[in-house]
Amino acid sequence: MDPARLLGPAEIDVLAQLGVATVLLGGIYALIAVGLTLIFGIMRVVNFAHGEFLMLGMYLAFWAFTLWSLDPYFVLVVSVPVFLLVGLASYALIMRGVIHASHNVQIFTTVGLSTALQNVALVLWTGDYRVVRPWHSFVVLRVGGIAFNLSQVVAFVIALALTIMLFAFMKWTHTGRVMRATAQDREAATLMGIDTDLVYRLTWAIGIACVGAAGVLVAPLYSVYPTAGLQFVLLSYVVVVLGGLGDMVGALLGSLIVAAVEVAGSYYFGTAWKEVLYFVLFIAVLVFRPAGLFGQRGAETLGA
Amino acid sequence: MGGALARHWGALVLFGLTALTPLVVKDAFFLDSLVLILIWGALSAAWNVAGGYAGQVSLGHSAFFGIGAYSAALLATRWQQSPWLGMLLGILVSVAAGAVIGYLSNRLRGPYFALSTIAFSQVLLIVVSRWRGFTQGSEGIPVPFRPGFWTLGLGHVAWVYVALGLALVYYGVQVYFERSRVGYQLAGVREDEDAAEALGIASRKLRVFAVTLSAALTSVCGTFWAQYVGFVDPFYVFSVDLSIRFALNTIIGGIGTALGPFLGSILITSLETYLRATLSGVRTGFTGIYLIIYGCVLILVVRFVPEGLAGLAARLRASIARSRGRATDHAHA
Repeated sequence: MDPARLLGPAEIDVLAQLGVATVLLGGIYALIAVGLTLIFGIMRVVNFAHGEFLMLGMYLAFWAFTLWSLDPYFVLVVSVPVFLLVGLASYALIMRGVIHASHNVQIFTTVGLSTALQNVALVLWTGDYRVVRPWHSFVVLRVGGIAFNLSQVVAFVIALALTIMLFAFMKWTHTGRVMRATAQDREAATLMGIDTDLVYRLTWAIGIACVGAAGVLVAPLYSVYPTAGLQFVLLSYVVVVLGGLGDMVGALLGSLIVAAVEVAGSYYFGTAWKEVLYFVLFIAVLVFRPAGLFGQRGAETLGA
Repeated sequence: MGGALARHWGALVLFGLTALTPLVVKDAFFLDSLVLILIWGALSAAWNVAGGYAGQVSLGHSAFFGIGAYSAALLATRWQQSPWLGMLLGILVSVAAGAVIGYLSNRLRGPYFALSTIAFSQVLLIVVSRWRGFTQGSEGIPVPFRPGFWTLGLGHVAWVYVALGLALVYYGVQVYFERSRVGYQLAGVREDEDAAEALGIASRKLRVFAVTLSAALTSVCGTFWAQYVGFVDPFYVFSVDLSIRFALNTIIGGIGTALGPFLGSILITSLETYLRATLSGVRTGFTGIYLIIYGCVLILVVRFVPEGLAGLAARLRASIARSRGRATDHAHA
């Protein structure tokens, strides 16, 4: 392909469109991934049930829309407190007992939780694919030659706002500082009089609230079904490993990279193969920079 | 010899009873359950070689299961070859895949290793389900039934003995990991890699060896399963759920013990069979309900009985021995 054609006006339009799509998608992935990386960074637990909480968020949006015609973006206001409670309850019932246990115990506890939640959804709501389509999912905006969907733009803006709020909370509030201190050194934090159990409880609840909110936000864009979480959770593992597990800024950059791979991959190779692309990327990162593109080396061999 | 008998009396009783059962029971449903228990037990034993003895907890072992199942199904439908050849092909491909995965993920521990194995199995799932021209994609492949041993078109009773043979070999492999030099070295690496390295143990090679062997064993079971069930489809054979199941049986039975995977399979497979029989026809099907129970059992077991049924039995034995000891102490006093 000659360079003149590569930079022709049509190609610039395509690139701009792909760029916008990447940013929009990346913002939503970031909100999903940020909860996972928060929990990992502070509690050192990989939550294999993360996708199921996302799925529950999607169902919350679906039922609120179906039963009471509530727009998913209003449901968001309810979902945050609801999922904070869900987080507190699941921490008290399940996570609290394994927080100091071995990695295997933690892996299989969250794996068990994932299996149980998926099938609770299957029993309660069957395996049918359902869709949430409020008016804004049908609106297509055009700016210049670039087209995008209104639902996606709103989801992106809200996801970004929530992510920034979480960053601000972690950076500037006392509680955020306490949480970061615990992440840096559990024992030292305990010696300084930090109630680490309270920190873990909060971390888990906030992480679950983030992914619950993400579920509500993506509901108008994707189908809702019991295993809907799986595609997103695998992707958010890719995101957080890329960014360095536990690194929140890394998660944001990782989301953009994964979104770029997905968008460009779908455009140039067809949607069928985009997942292969990001799993290959995932494996490559795990192999060559397992601590992530920006993380510290060596974390992966500590069993983290 | 007496020592070996004492050590393996549980296995002797279990496998001995299994061998006698088809002589007495002719019920097809019961024999079918027995075959499934043995195959799931063997699969979990294969997982245990990597997950238990080498400490490489994989959540992507369905990759090797799928390779074994698809090798045989593709050879049979495209080139009319025997499943035994398919099994050999499956072993070759799985050994290659297992060596690559084992080598690439060697540095990774705990959740990182689990994540990398999930990624591998997902890549295979996507490739097989999208490569329609060769694999028939998501429709799956019906595996033809041709009566005979060479084509593995067997009756229920013959299947019990084939599956039992498989289970015995896998039990033996695990005993090897418990009693051999390699096994002790692996245990050393699992507990403290730096110390093991300092003693001159090639920890990386050993781990790759265990993962590769585990892959080959899983693949063989995949072939048998495909022939037994008569159908392969990518979303089942490469699923994360399946990988979880291999781990689940092993953990419930007792991770890192030779009999554990089989004990776990007896409990879980019978539970599944029972629920399938009693709950089928319920609105959403039985799948959801028994998997909810699975999930909860898994959470409770890793929390309260992390050593599994095999470990629980050992604990009970020890406490009985202790209380007997106390009783004799009192008698002496």
